[in-house]
Amino acid sequence: MGGTSSKLSKDLLSEYQELTFLTKQEILMAHKIFSELQDKENGPYGARVSMEKVLTLPELKSNPFRKRICQVFSTSDLKDGSLSFEDFLDLLSAFSDSATLEIKSHYAFRIFDFDDDGTLDARDLEKLVNSLTGETDDTRLTGEEMKQLIGNILEESDIDKDGTVNLSEFQHVISRSPDFVSSFKIVL
Amino acid sequence: MELREFNNQVHSPPDYPSPSLRFQTVPDQDTSAVQFDWASPTEDAEDSKEPRNLRELPLHMGLKKALWQVQQMRVPVVSSSWNVKQSQTFRRFCEVANYILSYFVLWKRGIQKIGGHFGGGVQSYFLFLRFLVILNFLSSLLIAAFVLIPSIVFRSMNLNSTIASTVNLTDEEICLQYDPKPGALLVFYTFILDLVSGTGFMEYSYLFYGYYDNSVTESNGFSYNIPLAYMLMAAFYFLFCLICMIIRMGDTARLVVVMGGEAVGGYSMEVFTGWNHGLQGDFETKAKQNNLRHRLQLDLEEERLKKKAASLTLGKTVSLYALRVFLNLVVLILIGATFYGIAQATLFSQSMKLTGFNGLLLQYLPSMVITASNFVVPLLCNKIALLEKYSAGTTIILSLLRVVFLRLVSLGVLLYTLWEQITCKGEISNNNCKPCHYNYAQYKCWETRVGQEMYKLTLFDFLITFATLILVEFPRRIVVDHCLCKLTQLVGRQEFLVAPNVLALVYSQTVVWTGAFFCPLLPFINTIKLFIFYYCKKTTLFQNCQPATRNFRSTTSNFFFMLVLLFGWTLSSMVLLYSVTKIHPSYGCGPFRLNTAMWDVVPGAVNMLSHTSKEFLFYIGSEKFSIPLFLFSCVLLCYVHALTSVHGKSVTLLKSQCKLEQRDKQFLVRQIEELNAKVQKKQHEPQQPQTETKPLYHTETQWNQHYNNAFDLDTDT
Repeated sequence: MGGTSSKLSKDLLSEYQELTFLTKQEILMAHKIFSELQDKENGPYGARVSMEKVLTLPELKSNPFRKRICQVFSTSDLKDGSLSFEDFLDLLSAFSDSATLEIKSHYAFRIFDFDDDGTLDARDLEKLVNSLTGETDDTRLTGEEMKQLIGNILEESDIDKDGTVNLSEFQHVISRSPDFVSSFKIVL
Repeated sequence: MELREFNNQVHSPPDYPSPSLRFQTVPDQDTSAVQFDWASPTEDAEDSKEPRNLRELPLHMGLKKALWQVQQMRVPVVSSSWNVKQSQTFRRFCEVANYILSYFVLWKRGIQKIGGHFGGGVQSYFLFLRFLVILNFLSSLLIAAFVLIPSIVFRSMNLNSTIASTVNLTDEEICLQYDPKPGALLVFYTFILDLVSGTGFMEYSYLFYGYYDNSVTESNGFSYNIPLAYMLMAAFYFLFCLICMIIRMGDTARLVVVMGGEAVGGYSMEVFTGWNHGLQGDFETKAKQNNLRHRLQLDLEEERLKKKAASLTLGKTVSLYALRVFLNLVVLILIGATFYGIAQATLFSQSMKLTGFNGLLLQYLPSMVITASNFVVPLLCNKIALLEKYSAGTTIILSLLRVVFLRLVSLGVLLYTLWEQITCKGEISNNNCKPCHYNYAQYKCWETRVGQEMYKLTLFDFLITFATLILVEFPRRIVVDHCLCKLTQLVGRQEFLVAPNVLALVYSQTVVWTGAFFCPLLPFINTIKLFIFYYCKKTTLFQNCQPATRNFRSTTSNFFFMLVLLFGWTLSSMVLLYSVTKIHPSYGCGPFRLNTAMWDVVPGAVNMLSHTSKEFLFYIGSEKFSIPLFLFSCVLLCYVHALTSVHGKSVTLLKSQCKLEQRDKQFLVRQIEELNAKVQKKQHEPQQPQTETKPLYHTETQWNQHYNNAFDLDTDT
C-alpha cells in the first residue's frame, strides 16, 4: 500500500490528510521523495526503504538521532529501521508544523528511550547526552561531569523518585519549555 | 490485572500502541494484529461522544486506518452525524484557507532556512523584523487612505473649501508668515542636501505636516474635514499599533507566566529540548553540538563554583556588593555624560545656521552623537558587567536593560531639548515666545522641524547600518578567511548578536512613532527601510557570520523585546499627547493653524453632532462611567489572581500525590514478588525461568501502566 504506485489516489490522499497533520502538498511532496528513494533500491523489500537509504535524506543525514528516529517509526517485523511510505508519513506528521505538543513529546520520549523499556534511566540519559554533545571521544563530557549532569536531571524531573523519568514526568518538563514545539520540526 | 498476566508481561518489551482501547494485545507480536474488544462495556459510552481527532493519537498508520474505518462505519448510527460532517468540512475549509494564506506570508521560506541554519534566536529577530514591516505597511496604508489621498485629491481638484475656524488675529499677524517655497532652479548638490535633511523642496511637500491644509472640503453634500481626519488618524494609528503588539504579546505572555520565571528545571529542559531537528548540514550540526557541550559544561562548572562559594566570608560579600554599587555608579555617570552630550549637540545644531556641506553636518550632529554613544556605551557596559560577577542570565538581562535605557532615553533627551527651544523652556511670557506662544524667530513651523529631526534620525540609522555592513562586516570576513595570522583567528568571524539588533529595531520604530504625526509619510519610509534591512541582514548572516556560540532562549526574550517595544510606544504616545494638547500649533502652516491647541478640532466636531450622540459621548468620558469601569476591572484582576494561585497550589498537591502513589506501587510490587516467591516455592514445579531480579527502583514499566490520559478516547476519566 502506498509507495508503489506512481501517483496517489484521491481517496488515499484524503485518508492520509485525515490521519496525519500534513497538508495535501506536504503529503504529495513526501510521496515524491519516497518514490525517488525507492527507485534507487534494488532489494526485494518492495514497499519498504531500508534505513540506510532513508538516512541519505538531507534533513536526516546529520541528525544525531537519525537512527533512533527510523527505529521508532518503523513498523517492520525485522526491527531493522526500514520505513514504508506510511511510516514515513507518520514520521513527517509527528515532526510537522501543526502536530500537537502531546504527539511530539510522546515521540520524543520514544526516541530518547534507547533501550525501549518505557522509561529513561541513567543509561538512556547518558546516551542522550552523548548524542547531544558529539559522539567522538574529545567531544564527550567527562565521567564526573556526566554523573553530575544526570544527577541534576533526575533530581529536577523525577517526581516520584524511582530513578527513572517516565512519560508523564517527561511531558511535564516539556510542557514548560516554550521552544520545544518549534525545535522538534523537520520540514521537507 | 491477573497475577500471571502481570508476570508474563513483566519481562517483555512494551507495546507502545496499546493504551486505552482495551486491546488484548499479546506481547512480542506484530502490533498490527489488533483485536478489538467489541464486547467492552465502554463502547456504548463512546458512541455518544464525537469521534476523536485521529491524528492526535500516537499510533502508527495501520492502527489509525483501522480506527478510522471503525469510525466511518459508526458515523451513520450516531445521531449527531450532521455535526460530525460539519466539523470535518470546517476543518477542511480551514486547511484550504491556511494554504492560500501561506502564499501571502512574507519571506516564509527564507526565515525557515535561517532558522534551520542558525537556530531559534536568530530566527526570532527576523520574525520580529517581519512583524514591524507589516505593521508599518498597514499603518502607512491607513494614513494614505484617510489623510494623504484626500489631501491630494482635494488640492488637485480645487474644490470649494472653507477654513475650519476663524480667529480674531491682532498682534499675531507676524506669526502667519511662513514661506518655505524654494527657488525654481536648484543646484544639484543643494538638491541632495535637501533630500537628505528634509529642507528646501522637501519641506513644503506632503512629507511634512506643514503642507496640509486646515480646510473642510464640501461638495454635493459630501464634506471632509481634513484637520479632524488628521487628528483621528493619528489616534487610530497609535491604537492600531497597540492592538497589534498586544495580540502578538498574548501567546508569549501566557507562556512566560506559566513558566514562572527563569530556568526552573534548567538541566532537564536543556537536555530534552536542546536539539533543533530542523538543523541541516554537518557543519551546523557540529557547531550546535559544540554549543550545547559548552553550555552544559559552563552550567555545571558554575554550579560547582556556587557550591564552593556558598560560604563566602562577610568581608568578601561586603566587598562584592561595594564593587557592584560602584560599577552601577560608573554606568550611571557614563549614561549621564551621554545625555549631556546629546543635549549640547542639539542646542548647538539648532542655534547655528550654516549652509552647504558644513550645514548638513551640523544638522546631523544630534544623530551622530546618538549613534556614537549607542556604539560605545554598550561596549563599555558589557565589559563592566563582566566585572560585576553576576550569573550569566542576570548579566545578559542587566546589560540589555542598560542599553534599552540608554537608547530610548537619549531619544527623550533630544525631544526635551527641542521642546525647550520651541517653547522657550515652557515660559510663554518670554520675549521670544510672546506673540505666537512658541519661538517664532527660530521655528516658523515647529511641527515640520520636529518631523525633519525624526526623518533625519531614520535616514541616518539606515545609512549607518548600511555602511557598517559594507565597510566593517564584509572586510572582516575577507580578512579572517584569507589572512591566517593568529590575531585574525582569535577575533574570528562575526557573530550575529540578536539582542543589540532587536534593540536597534525597537529604537527605529520608536523614532517612527514619535515622528509619524509630524511627518505622515515616515511609516512608509520605514517600511521600505526595513524591507531593505531584511535582505541586507540576511546576506550578512549567510556570508559573514558564524553560527552562534551562545544559545538564545527565544520565547522569554521575545516577550522582553515586545515589552521594550511597548515602552517605546508609551514614550512616543506621551510625546504626541503633550504636543497635541499643550503646545500652540503654528500659525503659518499645517491643518491646525488658528486653533489654540491641536486637540480643539475634536470637541468642535463633537459639538456639531446630534444631541443624543453628544450626550452619549459625554457620558462615556465622564467619571460616572469610568470609575465603575475601573472598579470592575480591579475585581476581575483579583479573580484571575486567585485562580492562578489556586492552580499553583493544585500543581504542588498533584506532585506530592505522584510521589505517594509511586511509593504505594513499589510496596505492592514488593508484596506481589514475595507472594509469588512463596507460591512457587510451595509448588515445587518447574516454572518460568526467573530472570535476574532487577533492583526495586527499576520497576517493570509497561506502556499500559504509564499511558497518558491525554490519549484516552473515553474523555470522562
